[in-house]
Amino acid sequence: MFIKTLISKEHFMRGIFFTAALVSIFAVALICVFLFAQGIPAIGRIGIMDFLLGQRWAPTAAEPAFGILPMILGSLYVTAGAIILGVPIGIFTAVFMARMCPNRLYRLIKPAINLMAGIPSVIYGFFGMVVLVPVIFDVFGRRFGMMSGQTMLAASILLGIMILPTVISIAETNIRAVPQELYEGAVALGASHERAVFKVVLPAARSGVMAAVVLGVGRAIGETMAVRMVAGNQAVLRMPHEFFKGVRTLTTNIIMEMGYVEHGSIHFGALIATGVVLFVFILIINTLFSILNARGGIK
Amino acid sequence: MKKMLVLISLPVILLLALAACGGGGSSDDGFDTGRVIAVFTREDGSGTRDAFVSITGVGDNMYAEAVVENSTAGIRTNVVNNPYAIGYVSVGSLNDTVKALSVNGVFPSDENIRNGTYGLRRPFTIVYNADTAGHELAQDFIAFMLSAEGQDVAATGWTRINVNAPAYTTRGLTGTLRVGGSTSVEPLMQRMKEAYEAHNPGVTIEISGGGSGTGINEATSGVIDIGMSSRALRDTEKAALTDLDIALDGVAVIVNPDNPLTDITLDQIKAIFTGDVTRWSGLN
Repeated sequence: MFIKTLISKEHFMRGIFFTAALVSIFAVALICVFLFAQGIPAIGRIGIMDFLLGQRWAPTAAEPAFGILPMILGSLYVTAGAIILGVPIGIFTAVFMARMCPNRLYRLIKPAINLMAGIPSVIYGFFGMVVLVPVIFDVFGRRFGMMSGQTMLAASILLGIMILPTVISIAETNIRAVPQELYEGAVALGASHERAVFKVVLPAARSGVMAAVVLGVGRAIGETMAVRMVAGNQAVLRMPHEFFKGVRTLTTNIIMEMGYVEHGSIHFGALIATGVVLFVFILIINTLFSILNARGGIK
Repeated sequence: MKKMLVLISLPVILLLALAACGGGGSSDDGFDTGRVIAVFTREDGSGTRDAFVSITGVGDNMYAEAVVENSTAGIRTNVVNNPYAIGYVSVGSLNDTVKALSVNGVFPSDENIRNGTYGLRRPFTIVYNADTAGHELAQDFIAFMLSAEGQDVAATGWTRINVNAPAYTTRGLTGTLRVGGSTSVEPLMQRMKEAYEAHNPGVTIEISGGGSGTGINEATSGVIDIGMSSRALRDTEKAALTDLDIALDGVAVIVNPDNPLTDITLDQIKAIFTGDVTRWSGLN
């Protein structure tokens, strides 16, 4: 009798957990359906080549054009910039925290980084707008004939800061997961502490650290609010060296024009389709993360 | 111990170096007309932008390098922070932190906007569908906005559409109205709501933003009773909606207070916003 109720209770609870799991899957499926149902017809009307490789974005012009190549490149540029600026700092911080940090300092740094992850992106954006943008303009404005401090550089720096908590906490976890024997072995063979950490422990955590970087990329490419406030948002095709000029990313393209767009128009469809492209980007990044994570299992 | 010292001093040195860098770059007093004009514009689809480009003749040729912001506050903040900036906002959103320019010698005053000597103006419009046309409370609120009392409210930052409007008498209606749409019209609607609710204590008006497009869409589907728009309706939208102008709004061309310029011509505005002139010295 007792066993029987236990089993039925177990079944009942399992049902609840299963339903909970279904809810999130259902939500993802719903978003996919919505995005593709609205976006794909728009891409069809614009023409996939004109949409993905078109260099002109003029949705309300007499002869409208819906090319999002400037935005695709814009997203790639600011993400690359964020990785270049943020990843070295993030990995070094993670190494420091996992292997070199005195306990008292750790108790200060760890909550600070957790707090960083919790700051809303609009606050980062505000910081960028009133501190970063004017500083960049003051320092480089005259020399480079800049229009404003709202540039690819500003967005990259801000995103570089914003991905830090993601990169640091995942990299730290993975560095900590490296078996202590590897470190001890290296030291026993005569390596100094630093040498053991950088030549043995860090390489052993390689895939985990790569996973941290990939997740950082995901964070950077999906960021909207903060980027909108510092990037300048010009839908102009840029070259990578033009980091003193403004860019528009895929995310900001959607948020900039969503408020005033005529619903059901081709412009509306083009914005949803921009979301589809972004979705595909994120899908690729997540797959990459899963692969790296699978390889990153402790050997 | 020594290691810790190096560790702590490194960021400090870095910071000092950066600060020194910053000091060297900004040695300018006064306005340098040789600098690049920082052009700020609203996003595609914005009602303010629609009005601005059609009146100035910029049309579809907006300077591609112009920084795009999607709110009035965004434009204003940038013009406050950047001495070489120029932008345009609703006259109702002007304040002391920025300087409004006269256009062709005419200042965007209430009088000049009403009689049309200041050309950069547009109507603020409300839209509603057939259901709202038969909705007693909605019609009473609309009558209020067009009455002398409502037009007095419009004059608190914007411009009356009718100087001889009839007086409003309350009919003591009760209920709830939902209004939404253009963020440019929203501040005016907020004051209309306060004034109307003072006359009609039993009424609650809920205002939401979202932009003209959202307002028009939701008024069509009946999600809201009255939509606000700061752009003209497109032909496809006109079919299901009635539109009414409730006030006039000037579009002010604004610069930083440090800018010595006080007057600008329509041709100069067009030259700046199409990118033909890119430095302040190029204006003369």
